[in-house]
Amino acid sequence: MANGSKMSRRNFMQQSALMAAAFAGAGSILPGSAQAAREKELNILCWEGYNSAQVLDPFRTKTGATVKAESLTNDPTMINRLRAGETNVWDLINVNNPWARKVMFPEKLIKPLDRARFEPFFDKMMPEFKPPYKWAMDDSGTELLGMAQRFGPYSFVVNTDKVSRATAEDQGWNLWNDAANDGKYGILESDDWNVFCICCIAGFDPFKTHSDEEVAKFTETAKRVFKGAKVVGDIATMNQSLVAGEIDFHLTGGTYSASPARADGHPEIRGITPKTGPMAGGKGGISWIEITSTVNNPELSPLAADFLEYVQSPEMSHTVAFAEGTFNPVSQMGNPDCFKLFTKEELDAIQWDSLAEEMSRSVEYDIVPDYDKLLDIMTAAKREASGG
Amino acid sequence: MPDTQPILSLKAVRKMFGPQAAVDSIDLDIAEGEFFTIVGPSGSGKTTMLRMLAGMDTPTSGDILLRGERINDIPANKRPTCMVFQSLALFPHRTVGQNIEFPLKIRGEAPERRKARALQLMDLLRLPQSYYGKNVLKCSGGERQRVALARALAYDPQILFFDEPLSAIDYKLRKTLEKELKDIHRETRKTFVYITHSLEEAMVMSDRIGVMRAGRLVQVGTPQQIYSTPNTRFVSEFVGDVNVLPVSIGHDGKLHDATTGLHLKAPPIPRDFVQGHMVIRPEFLRFLESPEQADNAVSGRLYNEYALGSRIQYQVRVGDSVFVVEKLRQQPFTGRLDDEVIIGWDARDAILVTD
Amino acid sequence: MALSQGTRSAIPVILFLLAGFAAPLMAVIWFSFMPPRSFSFAGTPTLENYATIFESTSYISFLWSLGLAVVTVVLLAAICYPVAYGLVRVFGKWATLLTLLFTIPLFVSENIRLYGWVLFLIKNGVLLGSLKSLFGLQLESMLFTVPAIVLGMVYVYLPFMLFPMTLGISMVPNETRDAAFDLGATRWQVFKEVELPLSMPGVVIGFLLTFVLAVGSIAEAKVLGGQSVIPITHDIEIAFTYSQNWPLGSALAVLLMLVVGTLVVLALRRFDLDTFLGRR
Repeated sequence: MANGSKMSRRNFMQQSALMAAAFAGAGSILPGSAQAAREKELNILCWEGYNSAQVLDPFRTKTGATVKAESLTNDPTMINRLRAGETNVWDLINVNNPWARKVMFPEKLIKPLDRARFEPFFDKMMPEFKPPYKWAMDDSGTELLGMAQRFGPYSFVVNTDKVSRATAEDQGWNLWNDAANDGKYGILESDDWNVFCICCIAGFDPFKTHSDEEVAKFTETAKRVFKGAKVVGDIATMNQSLVAGEIDFHLTGGTYSASPARADGHPEIRGITPKTGPMAGGKGGISWIEITSTVNNPELSPLAADFLEYVQSPEMSHTVAFAEGTFNPVSQMGNPDCFKLFTKEELDAIQWDSLAEEMSRSVEYDIVPDYDKLLDIMTAAKREASGG
Repeated sequence: MPDTQPILSLKAVRKMFGPQAAVDSIDLDIAEGEFFTIVGPSGSGKTTMLRMLAGMDTPTSGDILLRGERINDIPANKRPTCMVFQSLALFPHRTVGQNIEFPLKIRGEAPERRKARALQLMDLLRLPQSYYGKNVLKCSGGERQRVALARALAYDPQILFFDEPLSAIDYKLRKTLEKELKDIHRETRKTFVYITHSLEEAMVMSDRIGVMRAGRLVQVGTPQQIYSTPNTRFVSEFVGDVNVLPVSIGHDGKLHDATTGLHLKAPPIPRDFVQGHMVIRPEFLRFLESPEQADNAVSGRLYNEYALGSRIQYQVRVGDSVFVVEKLRQQPFTGRLDDEVIIGWDARDAILVTD
Repeated sequence: MALSQGTRSAIPVILFLLAGFAAPLMAVIWFSFMPPRSFSFAGTPTLENYATIFESTSYISFLWSLGLAVVTVVLLAAICYPVAYGLVRVFGKWATLLTLLFTIPLFVSENIRLYGWVLFLIKNGVLLGSLKSLFGLQLESMLFTVPAIVLGMVYVYLPFMLFPMTLGISMVPNETRDAAFDLGATRWQVFKEVELPLSMPGVVIGFLLTFVLAVGSIAEAKVLGGQSVIPITHDIEIAFTYSQNWPLGSALAVLLMLVVGTLVVLALRRFDLDTFLGRR
């Protein structure tokens, strides 16, 4: 009603319907009513890719099940939908590495997997995923909480025709501390990651609790960075602006965001991992690894575990890596049977040449303890950038 | 003779819509102060003609003269004439007073003067003064009629045109408004040009009537002339129910009924009359004891009767034809349905028309 | 007292409307009083969200939304009235074709049309690319600026102003215009005294429709503006997504409804539709 555009209204209606559902759910819960039906039903909450027909259709054919998948583009929203009572809706949740171990398992939003059945798959993955793989395990190291597949470095993207890869890697986050670059860059609207990036630009590690001085520095940096941005937008907008020459580089990005442009014949668009930075061990980049877990659904579909197994096959892993939207490396590339399915063009698109190097220069995405505070500061900075 | 110069003259006025002549070669003079009515069925071109007179359409050829001045190309807003529309075309977003004052406001008159004039006109048209601030859409049909007329009069036109303004009004109110209009005409002494499809309406109000058919004026005359001496069967039938007998001049030089061959007594026959119709109005037909009681007589079967208020109308079937007979209610008559009756008429009451 | 037949017949519809419209609305209003960053209806009601908003710079977003909407409505009025007038009175048989041309874009998703404009306006895109290759002109791109947002909004909401206006103008009876002309009015006076006031219902509906839509727009600022402007709807979206602060988002939505509702009521009081339609 109040917010009119299609996009926001759809979001809004979803949220409203959700609230109404939560409202109704509080009053009446009919236990055990749908037990039988869930044998042929699977609901997946995921990042884009797992919801594609290429991935889901063979599974539907094989099992004859009704598979529904909803894709979202940020982790907190997905977690909060489980918190809001949707644990009895979803069977699988696909989010980035820290959430399963640090948040969802302690909050009983997910349940562990059968170690005997799933641990062997980690043996076939790339060396850094050897079991017990940290982000797939609980704190005690006894429970297997999810499966790893897509991953990638995610710091920023440049047009190497304008700024060379070497310059970008050397300068790193200081690209945004040079006033001469104002108006030359964009910012991907991936606000959780933008919080990390602004911390890096401000010169401190994002993944810790910040001092008052650091928060003040963050505030100042956020204002400055948003003020200097030519454009804030989605991945398509960023790539288009880079290709057209509207901008030379953009904040928050990596293989995940640059791969569509690279696959489309623009190898000059490249994800960059800074050589040095303010993170642990002087690392300059941030990377992510998706972990897919079974939801703590009172009537969990038996198909949930089957699906996790299904996507581990070399063929399906390759399909997941190149599912519609964005293209990413997958941990299963450690298996030669899987790796040989990738063409040279596909390897180029996901920057395979520098992948190992970039991952080694990156710290793994983690929870920011004071994320809410920093995000509010950044949101205000973004708004104020338009205010004058 | 300046004082007999017509206020409005039409000289061979013609209006073409594509290959079709909606108005065809009209010649007409309308006198100052006259109440002139154009009567015709729908599609006869009367509205087109009125729109040309008012300046909303221009003639394809011919001239329209206002007091001798050619006004063909003068637009409606520059002519000293004004029209009352069929829909009345009141301004629904304005009050009664604002509607009436509209032409004065356009002319730039001061508000007090406008109001004074509006109230004066409301008085003339018997609209209560309290209606000044009333929304026009809240007024009844008759009241709206008066507002429309007042608005037109406020323009102070030399000629007022009326495009069937009473056609959508119920019978009783229409009868009242017809008389009121005639009173207003008398009071204002303006020239009124009125169009209607009802000759009855025209008869009540008009000084003269022009009957239109297919874009042409077929007869112009006083109501009495139109009624008693229609020059065509079309005009005669326009007045209402009439009996029409096809007739022709026989070898004996006398008038015969074209179907039966019977000899008919007739009024003086126009010189070049060869064949045509004899028209007898129902009220001139009467029931007879014997055929000798009238100049012409036929016998037939009394088929039906219709009570028309003060008169009673009978349908009498004579062979294949039907005669309509009317008598006043108080005139004695004892005939019953299916009786054999004799009906007759006098030669002086019959009219011969060529068409 | 027994309910009338009409009231009884309307009960299913009333219940449907209550469930479909009133209930979600009430849920949003109630949620706006829940503690920040909570996800339950069961919290203790608080005004904290509203306090947060009033202490923040949210007013910037409100002003952008309202300002952009006003500019859009004014531009649309100036563009659409002549076009609508032409469609009704001037273009004749071409009017149907033109109406179709104005309607067809509605069948394409708004976002796709906006991305089309991006391709048109972007550096080396359709417009600047052609100017450069044809005339050697090298101009600054207007993409990601406020004028680009306004352009997008005007483009997207044009039919919502045009069609009510067309309807409004076509509702003016020909005889009424003729009558005014016959009573001595010039063409301009006919327009000012009769046509414009009698077409006002369509104009006012067009104003309200486009204003409400424009205040609620988000895609134009995002896609064509490159988020150089953050309208209030975008703030609401951020609250519901990245911030995961549903109560704050609800409170922003409630405030937006209040602001827009107040403006609409004021406008309707000033331009009473019933008066225009002569029902009062």
